[in-house]
Amino acid sequence: MRRFSMPFAVWATLFVTLFCGLVLFAFDYEGPRVDSLGLSSESLAYDTGAANLVSAIYLNIRLYDTLLEVLVFSVAVLGVHFYLGPRGVEEQVEGIPESHVIRTSAGLLLPVIVVLGIHLVLFGHVSPGGGFSGGVVAASGLLLCAVALGAEAVGRRFHETFLERIEWGILLSILCLACAPLALGRLPLTDVLPQGQVGSLVSSGSIVLYNVLIGLKVFIGTWVIIHFFMRHRGEI
Amino acid sequence: MGVLNGVTVAIILFGIGLLGLILRRDLVIKLLALGLINSSTILCLVSLNARPDGAPPLLQGNGLGAMVDPLPHALVLSAIVINFAILALALVFVMLLVERYHTTDSRRIEEEVAREEGE
Repeated sequence: MRRFSMPFAVWATLFVTLFCGLVLFAFDYEGPRVDSLGLSSESLAYDTGAANLVSAIYLNIRLYDTLLEVLVFSVAVLGVHFYLGPRGVEEQVEGIPESHVIRTSAGLLLPVIVVLGIHLVLFGHVSPGGGFSGGVVAASGLLLCAVALGAEAVGRRFHETFLERIEWGILLSILCLACAPLALGRLPLTDVLPQGQVGSLVSSGSIVLYNVLIGLKVFIGTWVIIHFFMRHRGEI
Repeated sequence: MGVLNGVTVAIILFGIGLLGLILRRDLVIKLLALGLINSSTILCLVSLNARPDGAPPLLQGNGLGAMVDPLPHALVLSAIVINFAILALALVFVMLLVERYHTTDSRRIEEEVAREEGE
């Protein structure tokens, strides 16, 4: 294989970076517009029922984008399972030495983290948040638990094989929810549930359902990835 | 906005990440550089869209000025999730390579592979 010399690599990088910079600065950008989708922000919110316009975009009018994103995430979890699953199953994960500070702070922080994750998922359509961020926050709480109590103790309670079945079930239900409008004679990926009052908790049709399903899926997927890594390494 | 705004910082970070990706031989540092490139892209997308008095894209957001464009935020969300997925999968491959060749040095791994193919 041909190797590049160091000065060549530095010059090539500088050239590429300068080129990217010039393209960005030459790009005639007239400042942000709210109507980039041909919709005003109010009509976007009232059409979808979600006060959070980012949720309104990625869970309603660009739903196919999010579906493929969820699929990519599932493929990554599947890849981690496929390559790390057959290995290191027998290994015992060594816990870090018993520490009162970590155990006490984990006990104090865990409820706050879990409540924050659930809040991010449930209120994702009226305030900043959503399924992805809420799921990752809750999974980080579980990681804190694994650090404090040991990975095996947490892993015994959350079995991967069972969890992965739930995860694939969730993926299936997300796809079914996306195709459900076909049964009512409408185009797929449209919202059939009533929009409700913009800004209230029960509003925005199926965006809440998508948020909850995606949050659960990301929570389980992140925990499966973390647990496989911990089991493979043999330590946290 | 001054010269040192989000876009210029993003370009500098992109250059550092690209340089690390090309020059460093450690596979883990290559992955970190890849993450840096991804973060710089996200910073670029978000700061192209930023305005000093912009309100968050919430209908009840109490900002001073007009609402910022929510579309780049939705795109950035996909970028973050896909970067997480790619990083997890790439780390698995690095772990497999380390298990087989006992090094994270990409040049030594290439030499080992060439030697194995030659045998």
